[in-house]
Amino acid sequence: MKALAISMHEAWLATLMAGFMSKTTSKQKLFDFSDILFRHFTWIEEEMVVAKEGYDYNREAVPIKVEKLSVILHNIIQRLNQIDLQLAVVSPDLSHRITHDIKYITGVLAQLPDEEVTAFNTLRKLDDIELSSEATDALTLFLFEESYKEYELIMIYNYLKAHSSDAYINRIFQILVDESFFHLKSFGDMMAKMGILGVPRTIFKEMYQVEDIEAFFLAGIDEELAAKEECRKLSEAVGSNSPQLAQFFDFINNQENYHISLMKDALAHWEKDKNV
Amino acid sequence: MTVDAQLIEHMMEPKNYGTLEDSNSEGLGKNPQNGEKVIIYLKVIEEEGELVIEDISFQAIGCSTTVVAGSMITQEAKGLSFHGATNLITATMKILEKVPPEDAACSEMVALALKASMETYTLRQTDKDHPSVTYQITNDCTPKEEGNQ
Repeated sequence: MKALAISMHEAWLATLMAGFMSKTTSKQKLFDFSDILFRHFTWIEEEMVVAKEGYDYNREAVPIKVEKLSVILHNIIQRLNQIDLQLAVVSPDLSHRITHDIKYITGVLAQLPDEEVTAFNTLRKLDDIELSSEATDALTLFLFEESYKEYELIMIYNYLKAHSSDAYINRIFQILVDESFFHLKSFGDMMAKMGILGVPRTIFKEMYQVEDIEAFFLAGIDEELAAKEECRKLSEAVGSNSPQLAQFFDFINNQENYHISLMKDALAHWEKDKNV
Repeated sequence: MTVDAQLIEHMMEPKNYGTLEDSNSEGLGKNPQNGEKVIIYLKVIEEEGELVIEDISFQAIGCSTTVVAGSMITQEAKGLSFHGATNLITATMKILEKVPPEDAACSEMVALALKASMETYTLRQTDKDHPSVTYQITNDCTPKEEGNQ
């Protein structure tokens, strides 16, 4: 099952990246399919946890640099067809679900219109916004740093959720996964528009195979505070060129407050449970 | 940090990132102040009596600067003999002497991880179970061993 989970992880990322590349109505379809593939990944993971099969989130690099969308769509179809051949290792119900999803998804992908891809041209121009070179550099560094961090958070919270049966804490983990998805999609879209799209790098095992959950929550709160500060600095850096962009980063900054509150809740719940 | 085309290329597509399945050595560089670290995996072969880095990869818990430094240094180290890689580390450390400590820390961590992984390989020739060597950077950026040798 481990090999299947890795293949699904890679297919999910390839599809998400294709969504960033698209500039047409195909974008939403690709995002929806990438969400479905992520769910497949979590269901396979759940079966591994139940079967007590050891696993991690290591994977191969996912090459995405293409000039035409059709090239990556073809690559995703190949990946999904390969996955279809590996499904005997999961339960019949899950295998049935995934195989039918793959049949539909590959059929739709094959019909999507081709597009020129500009997500790798490194022009670093965001829509019609005129940013100074300092603001452009600040935004570039922020996007690389934070897109990786959002991917990292999705994987960390997902892993912790897969290994916890505490409904209260799992609700919080799920909210944080959903929130990080929104941030990752927002930042990935900006990166594609600026021509600097890249696949987030793989994560160190010890980041998600957490031994001390209290220390993890405390570090997580500190990280959220640091993320707020990064958003504030960026909002300031781009504010004079684009109030609209500054407002977006203030909006993201404000969302971090609720994440901090949720993590404090989770920490308090964890400590209370420990003392019972 | 000044963002140029080369830097963007390394950020978009870091070279040699990840684990190395057939590695025969690894070493770590750590920043004890913030928990950031770099691990370098090596596949070392013997060629005409010399130890050569046939393949190399790295993983990092750290910022984009660390990833860029890892991408650049591992690219340069691939294919070098241990002698050549030692020269690369020395040259890197010399350049870093002229850089403010806070800017030098990331590259230093990568250079020390490379040094540590080469030492791990050498030590495993006499003790195959020798643990991975770790170096940590200090405030004044002077490398100091963690004491697992």
